[in-house]
Amino acid sequence: MRGRLAAIGLGLTLALAIGLLSWAWARPAAVVRVLMPAPFADATADLVAAFNGRHRDVRIAVTRGPFETDAVSDLAISSLLLGDSPYDLLLMDVTWTAKYAAAGWLQPLDPWLGAEALEPLVSGARAGNRIDGRLYRLPLVADMGLLYWRTDLMEAPPRTPDELVAISRRLQEQGRVRWGYVWQGRQYEGLSCVFLELIAGFGGHWGPTAQASGEQGFGLAGPAAARAAGWLQQLVREGISPQAVANFAEPEALQSFEAGEAAFLRNWPYAWQELQREGSAVAGKVGIATMVAEPGEPHAATQGSWGFSLLTGTPHPEAAVQVLQALTGDASQRQLVTRYGYTPTLTALFDDPELVAERPLLPQLRQALEQAVLRPLNPGYAQLSDILQRQLSALITGRGDPALAMARAGRESDLLLRASGQGLAPRPQEVSP
Amino acid sequence: MSGLLLMAPALLLLLAVFVWPLLDYAWLSLQAQSVFTGLEQVPVGTLNWQRLLADGRFWQDAWQTLRFAVVSVALELVAGLAIALLLHQRWRGRGVARSLALLPWALPTTVMALGWRWIFNDPYGPINGLLQLLGLATVPFLAAPELAWLATVVADVWKTTPFVALLLLAGLQMIPHDLYEAFALEGGTPWQGLWRITVPLLRPYIFIVLLFRLAQALGVFDLIAVLTGGGPASSTESLAVYAYLNAMRFLDFGYSATVMLGMFLLLLAGAAALLLWRRHTEVRA
Repeated sequence: MRGRLAAIGLGLTLALAIGLLSWAWARPAAVVRVLMPAPFADATADLVAAFNGRHRDVRIAVTRGPFETDAVSDLAISSLLLGDSPYDLLLMDVTWTAKYAAAGWLQPLDPWLGAEALEPLVSGARAGNRIDGRLYRLPLVADMGLLYWRTDLMEAPPRTPDELVAISRRLQEQGRVRWGYVWQGRQYEGLSCVFLELIAGFGGHWGPTAQASGEQGFGLAGPAAARAAGWLQQLVREGISPQAVANFAEPEALQSFEAGEAAFLRNWPYAWQELQREGSAVAGKVGIATMVAEPGEPHAATQGSWGFSLLTGTPHPEAAVQVLQALTGDASQRQLVTRYGYTPTLTALFDDPELVAERPLLPQLRQALEQAVLRPLNPGYAQLSDILQRQLSALITGRGDPALAMARAGRESDLLLRASGQGLAPRPQEVSP
Repeated sequence: MSGLLLMAPALLLLLAVFVWPLLDYAWLSLQAQSVFTGLEQVPVGTLNWQRLLADGRFWQDAWQTLRFAVVSVALELVAGLAIALLLHQRWRGRGVARSLALLPWALPTTVMALGWRWIFNDPYGPINGLLQLLGLATVPFLAAPELAWLATVVADVWKTTPFVALLLLAGLQMIPHDLYEAFALEGGTPWQGLWRITVPLLRPYIFIVLLFRLAQALGVFDLIAVLTGGGPASSTESLAVYAYLNAMRFLDFGYSATVMLGMFLLLLAGAAALLLWRRHTEVRA
């Protein structure tokens, strides 16, 4: 009896000791908390699981954010405003970086990644990661605006705005399509992306370069902005694009093109897979090209990539950077490309013949990426974009004159920059940077 | 003294959840606190208020918010009264009808706004589907400024009429039935009865409905954010949406607080007008 009790006691003690030991041994030294939009959280779920299986000292805990970009931003900002951030890494849209950096929420990656951090990326994916010379993000996937066209309706895609209108009109008159061109005309960020490509195509530039050369109106006061905006207005007025385009975001435009109603669509690379799936009226009849431009002007593609940033409040930056490198690395991107149809940022992947055989679109996407243009890297970008969208939306719904509307948007942009102390005029008052 | 003591918890609660945030906002409206100041507070005096007075968008949104609130609440009042009268009558299936009538109110606003966004879709929504079936042209409900605001009104009326009907139904049940019998004996018609008995006796309930609904409608946010996002050309943007944009998108908290306070002051003026109107009508009655 006594022997049995002693045995039980010994057993219990042993079990406890083993439990304690294994707990101490397996206890993760650092939990890296990452907030991602739902589609990315789903696409990286097995990568995260594999990482957690391989590492004992670092664990990744992913928070699956909402689906919509704006909703993710709201969630991130609300939690960051409370001070103690519940995350170490944030997967962010390219347009947030300047704002978050100015708010003091991001820490530079240079001390960990060194000066050559962006070397492995194709040139089109390098822009937009540095603010004032400091590296604040590393892209996970690339994204850029594309012009989708119907290979069954024409020999080659249009290269100039006039060609696009001419082809559209001909096809519409022949009754082969209801609409010529569908795009994102809703009053939201997508409209700014559409415009950014066109202002470049008409020989202009929205944002810093124009500002640096002393030009008034943030690049919007010149003739290129008026012509780009006027062209969009003309598309709706002449029935090349439906009136409903003024409420189109990506899904609505895609839906119309997928139903075979339109000859051209402006969208991101993700649309390709949607258009090829079963039930699509245009499967196998779609080509991609860059946006139309006046002869001699660049065929621009708005850059819209997602990337990881390191938050200021993280208690273990080394572990967080290790996770960041793992998730943006070769193996990880390869899986995102093959399994989920994302566009990589690493040169090695674009050059990989095996991957290209599996994803024949890659060389074309790389070409488009070389034409990538960036939306202004400014802490006040959201507001600058809002000013532009308001005027463009009015034009598309048939109100106002393009030159006057763009001049007004330019004046409002100047006013905002001046009030914020970064405009053309001397600072009205000193504010802490 | 003991009365004050008994009221203290309620007063403290009011102070904590109402007065304190208001004072905080008033303080914030005198600061520049935005992404451009690194989210630090910098005192700027009345600069935000000067900007508000000169901000065409604020006044445009104020007008749009008022138009939305007045038109939708007026429609809700009429439709709500009609439904309440119907549900007050005795008929088979009334219980079921009463529960069914409440359904729109029970639905979360974002869900129903998404539903309406689909209903108004051009050209795939059911309304435009019907129009096409009849051989008519589709209507870009949400893409034309003069139609989009009406679309927001329709969605709001659909959603909140049940609430109005419910309150008015409660009011109807407080009116003694013999009043109508006496009125009928004197030779009054039902239509006269509605205007001589029902509406006057419902007045306190109508007042509560107006107070609740106007306050809610003037602060409208979720319906508009989901249905139109404020567009096209900011033609459906409400003050609450504008304040939200300033805070959460532009990270301009000083100005956002100013917009919110400006909205609050306008609301206060509206509530004061409503109270005066009630006092006026009470004296007359």
